Amino acid sequence: MRNAQRILAALAVLGALHLVILLAGFVAPYDPAAQNRDFPFAPPTRIHFVDAYGRAHLRPFIYSLSVRSDTVNEYEEARDKSYPVRFFIQGPAYKLAGLLPLHVHLFGVEGPAQIFLAGTDGYGRDQFSRILYGGQISLAAGLLATGISLLLGLVVGCVSGFYGRWIDESAMRLVELFLVLPWLYFLLAVRSFLPLNISPTQTFLLLVAVIGTIGWARPARLVRGIVLSAKGRKYVIASRGFGASEYYILRRHVLPHTYGVLLTQAALLVPQYVVAEVTLSFLGLGLSEPAPSWGNLLANLQQYNVLISYWWMFAPALALVIVSLGYLQLANAVHELQSGSI
Amino acid sequence: MEIEETTRGATTPALVRAVGLSKSYVQRAPFSQKRFVIDALVDAELEVAPASLTALVGESGSGKSTLARCLAMLEKPDGGETWFEGAEISRATDRDLVLLRPKIQMVHQDSAGALNPWFTAAQIIAEPLDIQRRESGPMLRSRACELMEEVGLSANWAGRRPLEFSGGQRQRLAIARAIALKPVFLILDESLSGLDLSTQAQVLNLLLDLQKAHSLTYLLISHDLSLIGQVADSVAVMHRGRIVEHGTRQDIFTNPRHAHTRELLNSVRLVESSFRTAQAGGQQ
Amino acid sequence: MNYLERRVIHGMLLLVGVSVLCFAFAALAPGNFFDEMKLNPQISPATVAALRSQYGIDQPLPLRYGRWVRSVIRGEWGYSFAYNCPVRSLLMVRARNTLLLTTLATLLTWLIAIPLGVWTANRRGRWDDRMGMAGSALLLAVPELVVAMLLLYWVVRTHGLPVGGMVSVDFDVLGKQAKLIDLALHLVIPTTTLVLASLPLLVRHIRASVVEVLQAPFVQAARAHGIGGARLLFRYALPAAANPLSSLFGLSVGALLSSSLLVEVITAWPGLGPLLLEAAMARDIYVVVGAVMASAFFMIAGSILADILLVVADPRIRLGSL
Repeated sequence: MRNAQRILAALAVLGALHLVILLAGFVAPYDPAAQNRDFPFAPPTRIHFVDAYGRAHLRPFIYSLSVRSDTVNEYEEARDKSYPVRFFIQGPAYKLAGLLPLHVHLFGVEGPAQIFLAGTDGYGRDQFSRILYGGQISLAAGLLATGISLLLGLVVGCVSGFYGRWIDESAMRLVELFLVLPWLYFLLAVRSFLPLNISPTQTFLLLVAVIGTIGWARPARLVRGIVLSAKGRKYVIASRGFGASEYYILRRHVLPHTYGVLLTQAALLVPQYVVAEVTLSFLGLGLSEPAPSWGNLLANLQQYNVLISYWWMFAPALALVIVSLGYLQLANAVHELQSGSI
Repeated sequence: MEIEETTRGATTPALVRAVGLSKSYVQRAPFSQKRFVIDALVDAELEVAPASLTALVGESGSGKSTLARCLAMLEKPDGGETWFEGAEISRATDRDLVLLRPKIQMVHQDSAGALNPWFTAAQIIAEPLDIQRRESGPMLRSRACELMEEVGLSANWAGRRPLEFSGGQRQRLAIARAIALKPVFLILDESLSGLDLSTQAQVLNLLLDLQKAHSLTYLLISHDLSLIGQVADSVAVMHRGRIVEHGTRQDIFTNPRHAHTRELLNSVRLVESSFRTAQAGGQQ
Repeated sequence: MNYLERRVIHGMLLLVGVSVLCFAFAALAPGNFFDEMKLNPQISPATVAALRSQYGIDQPLPLRYGRWVRSVIRGEWGYSFAYNCPVRSLLMVRARNTLLLTTLATLLTWLIAIPLGVWTANRRGRWDDRMGMAGSALLLAVPELVVAMLLLYWVVRTHGLPVGGMVSVDFDVLGKQAKLIDLALHLVIPTTTLVLASLPLLVRHIRASVVEVLQAPFVQAARAHGIGGARLLFRYALPAAANPLSSLFGLSVGALLSSSLLVEVITAWPGLGPLLLEAAMARDIYVVVGAVMASAFFMIAGSILADILLVVADPRIRLGSL
């Protein structure tokens, strides 16, 4: 069935992407903070399979970069020595997923050559590594904020639907208010009220908390609808007749109906929140240097000279698009699955 | 349609007694002052003799379901008392309710609505046992299967969902669920409406068999007088929240005293006679 | 009290709610505009304290809210610390620019989306519909941040259009027609970005609404009478879809406002967006509140407009059957 295939395809792509980003330390050849002042704005390293003599090699290789004389930020390949790309190579130390200290990297080259799959930025930092580590921040922010929104929405929706009357009325007014607010304005306003100079961890947590409060309104309304319709069902009344507690009814009769809706909402919210984090960091209100986030990576493009000359700085945008695409396809497919089964 | 006739005397003390029950519903638009008051029950009095089948009849909106819900302790009446097995229950505390609930159970009309469509048959039947913690784990399922067999459903269907059953089979499921806690008093709220005649007969027979086997007392709520005329021991007539007449089946059908009872009986006779005329016409 | 009046009052209540929410967040705010000054060794703490009390920052929140409301009634909308002037003068110009941009973008988006949505609804399931759907899914996945940057990149490489800003440096000396052209050229990039960002979702919704309407009995009957093609679509189907489309319009205003904020910042369009960003960075609280209120006002005005459109377009509402 087409729908099941689409879900699997989306899950596969997303799963692979998340795995790669989770294992950023392993997949990235370099430390994201390591600077190479000699090579600012180096273009992506060209991978060769055919050498200067026309011989083809199975193992790809690169040439090391040297600065072109009399120029700034212009490089050429030094074709005297080739450096084969090695896999499972020892490199700078890192902690896998923040826990396991390791040295081995997925790929790399022996020094002094360096492989910059996505070029470098103004400080000569490998963009590919920064994109992977930045993905950790951006994706984590999106996922955590989604969790917060869904939890908030679930709680408010359940309480509102269950207890009804003035609690319901006030909650729905609040929901309306939040649906009406233009989210970026609201986000900026809230962010502006919070301290600007705090540690990256605190910034991250703050960011997540704030972003999570934007989108709880729609899930809350959906959950409330489900609770209301379930509450009036005869089988809930029958359950009460057997002596079921409200908690039992919530758990066994009401909540199972919310899972489908929550899943679709999750698939819709995650990409929105990732974009929200990226936007905030891009504007300078999110994570700031030196911590990488797709947002502040893209912020480099706000400088005219970067925008016009260094196209590889767009690379984080590609990652962002893939994430959005994957989640949106997932959301579509799950939604279709649900409306088919109703 | 052959149904075994049963007659029992009303000399033993009543199992259930409703005395002066009143209930009103007030609907108020939020944050406004307008109110709509609906008097569902007005001073309703009813007695149900043990091991009997008492019928409660009346037109739609007369308050039958409200009375049923009050008797089943699903709602608290505004005024009056409900006596069950000699004790007053309308103001029972939650702790008392835990002991009382298993004894009074209800079978609803809309079987599709009264059964959670995501549950399996076994889960549905086992739910009251689960809630009351009578059994657990595999014992739950085996007890559910026993009950299924008792109501005439094959235990092989224990894994099926309600919508995979026919209307009559769903009612059997609902009945199995209702007797799971071994109640003493069973309220059948229009449980036979909406079923075709032959299914109705089958379910009715099941109910009568169960009544004999478990010494159940039934309160059958219905607007179908011809059905009641065949099975009820005593009949109570409801009109606009009051019980306007109550007596044995014979009394009610042959000698109705209240104007409303007469109206109800007349409407049945009208339908019956036109049915007979149509039948006669068809045969010739 | 008829429907419209009720909606307006409802909107005003919402605005009050938004303002309270803003001030509530201000209550959680550790720090304020003058914190930066505190770090400056040349400014004595006494001066900072005097400034703070002059602007009333150290007073309890409900009091500040009251003063702000009075300022609003007076027409000042609070006071900007950074610009040293009433917020209103800042807001008016910026709000006008944002309104220009968003109104133009909204018009264009709907002008393109309606025929596109109706057409694809008609060709449902066929190859051009599927391609359209795939294309719109792809476009939807590209955040407007990226769209804006890509457009800028393209403009910068091709030197075709001005890169950002609202008017050229020599705007004042241009002739009337030249001024208009200059403005229009500057509008191209931000408007295109906004349109591209809003188009996919809108087309999808329009398509869904029209598809539903096309299956209605009265449409089938019209078809049976031999009415087909464009006439069927635009004279029969589209008016029936006016109801869900109007509510869509109301909802889309908010999303457009958020998008416009970002686009304004990136393309240096002098609207509410850059103002808010600046104020947010500088903790210029009353400007922040003012800008948020302005955007909320546009939002609510948009949804009320949508309601009016609804009443106008859907005769069922006028006749009271809904």
